Amino acid sequence: MNKILKIVVALLALVFASIGFRWLVAPEGVAAEFGMTLMQGLGLSSQIGDLGAFFLSLAIFILLALTTGRRTWYYPPIILLGLTAIMRTMAWMFHDASLAVDMIAVEIIACVVLYLGSLRLADED
Amino acid sequence: MHLRKSWALALLLASAQPSLSSAQPSLPSAQQAPNIVLILADDLGFSDLASYGSEIHTPSISALAEQGVSFTNYHTGANCAPSRAMLLTGVDSHRTGVPNIPEMIPPEQATESHYSGTLGHNVVTVATLLQDAGYHTYMAGKWHLGQTPDQLPSVRGFERTVALADSGADNWEQKPYLPIYKKANWYADGEEYQLPEDFYSSGFLVDKTIEFIDSNQGDGQPFFAYVPFQAVHMPVQAPQEYIDRYMGVYDQGWTALRTERLTRAIDLGIVPADSAMVTMASTGDWDALTPKEKAYEAKRMAVYGAMVEAMDHHIGRLIEHLKAIGEYDNTIFIFSSDNGAEAMGQPVQNSWRNSRSLASQGYSVDYETLGLKGSFNAINPGFSSAAASPLAYYKFYLGEGGMRVPMIIAGAGIEVKNQLTNAFAFVTDITPTILALTGVEPAPARFGGRSVEPIIGRSLMPLVAGRAEAVYGDQDAIGHELMGHGALFMGEYKIVFNRDIWGDNQWRLFNIVADPGETMDLSAQHPAQLQLMLGRYQQYLAENNVLPMPAGYSFLTQVIYNALNNAFRDNILIGILMFFLLLPFVLVYRSKSQG
Repeated sequence: MNKILKIVVALLALVFASIGFRWLVAPEGVAAEFGMTLMQGLGLSSQIGDLGAFFLSLAIFILLALTTGRRTWYYPPIILLGLTAIMRTMAWMFHDASLAVDMIAVEIIACVVLYLGSLRLADED
Repeated sequence: MHLRKSWALALLLASAQPSLSSAQPSLPSAQQAPNIVLILADDLGFSDLASYGSEIHTPSISALAEQGVSFTNYHTGANCAPSRAMLLTGVDSHRTGVPNIPEMIPPEQATESHYSGTLGHNVVTVATLLQDAGYHTYMAGKWHLGQTPDQLPSVRGFERTVALADSGADNWEQKPYLPIYKKANWYADGEEYQLPEDFYSSGFLVDKTIEFIDSNQGDGQPFFAYVPFQAVHMPVQAPQEYIDRYMGVYDQGWTALRTERLTRAIDLGIVPADSAMVTMASTGDWDALTPKEKAYEAKRMAVYGAMVEAMDHHIGRLIEHLKAIGEYDNTIFIFSSDNGAEAMGQPVQNSWRNSRSLASQGYSVDYETLGLKGSFNAINPGFSSAAASPLAYYKFYLGEGGMRVPMIIAGAGIEVKNQLTNAFAFVTDITPTILALTGVEPAPARFGGRSVEPIIGRSLMPLVAGRAEAVYGDQDAIGHELMGHGALFMGEYKIVFNRDIWGDNQWRLFNIVADPGETMDLSAQHPAQLQLMLGRYQQYLAENNVLPMPAGYSFLTQVIYNALNNAFRDNILIGILMFFLLLPFVLVYRSKSQG
């Protein structure tokens, strides 16, 4: 069971790393997947810089959690993903944004998987 | 509208520019600014129209020819995008950012901004100038000058558009014709577009043009409609009823057809009576084919003839519509082709290997369904040579067969009717001619806050007004370079250098007025003329910052390389980055596991 969980957590890291690198290498395609058009100038800098860093950070935190076995490394990605789901919901409630149900669901599921990982895969800090 | 009131005066001023000619063209008689319909066929050969010697039935275009001037010594670029860039801007292809189609630009050149293969913002399109002058500007057809939001026709002066961004696409459905494209990239007014179920390219493009024209009909503003057809670019496809009309027409083969077309072109006065031809090395021996093979090749060409006639039929529909809404008598038509006939069709299209390859794209090459939906077709290089009859070479080469194409200017205010002109004209002349016809000024040196390239072409108004024999003098040099091929025109002479595969890598000198077939190399006879023109060609290369081709360059290999590069480059790079990201974690994890 733990082995399967470890594979799922590792896959999450790979997916996030892949998305982060896509922001760096081929931003147009990944921007479209997130419902964005690619901006220019400062907007483009923010899109690539902030979003690329967000996803690569997620991947690195998860990989650190897996390799060190320390529970604390699970918390940053859980917080980041959880806050993203909350902010998306608030964007829908207060700013007329689309309710991105699919993405919120993925973020919540990833949070749950990482939380389980922190319980079953990590040593006590 | 100021345009309508001042058109006649503007025409007078435009035609009086000293750079054009000392002769004064007569003025169109209409009181309103004229509508302009610019029709561009794709890969149409020099003798593919009935009025240029073809057996193909093209009554609508023939009717246009009767209402104006047909050019028999008009030249364009030898492939698609550079010609279109020059056509729409009047600027040399190397200064527009489109010296070649992007699919064929090698990486050594692609790093240079003027070799991007997309229309630069340092040039102004004729559509932009007309739009700024109060014209409605419409486009329906192939664009191929850029695909990103800042490159589409909707931001290059066209008010309403439906545009194909690729080099070509299927004529029956939204489907790429080459595996280098993931999909057929159509856009409408700058947004991705889904073609309708009942799509057939020529009919659809004319339907959209009519729709655009009708949307503003009666508001007092003239329109400029650019209709770049997909016909007759591969895949060569046509409705069955048109194909039926050409079954049996090509049973005598390509050599017989090439000769028949030469005879008709001579009779029509398109080429001199003593014009000769060379046989291209790519032309196979018709007599060596089996009866079954002959039938298949003849049908490939029958579909081609059908596709040309279908295009002509839809041009006729557009003309009839303009008559019905009362705009015909105020409309000037310009018809031409982007380059000469294409000879990239496989010599044996239905070979097992080619059939398998096309089947993987969802295409059939079966005889029964050739040209219909789901079928892939392109004519045999032997028939391509006949489509260019009596000229040598074809698309992608700078022989006359690649560069010399039909061009007709006709309609309202063109007082010279049913005339041929053998005066030299070049694709960069179309934009200044449209500006002269409409009384719109060229862009100033700075336009839209940036420096822009000046127009190098000349208005053909003096020719269509019948007041001048030529707009270029004997000492005017017009150069062109494509993928290392070179050509320069001066007076009646042309020097040309065609690289392999079918070229001979030799500079040759021809008198293309007396010898349009480029059969007699005059290099030895007129060495001084050759040297003079070679010097002018070097000057042309330097002035336009033409880059040398990398050693061993082959455009076919480059297309494949660029396609693979585009398809896999990003994934390979992401894979490498992933490897370096994961490596330290894997090492740490393994050392912990072992420890």
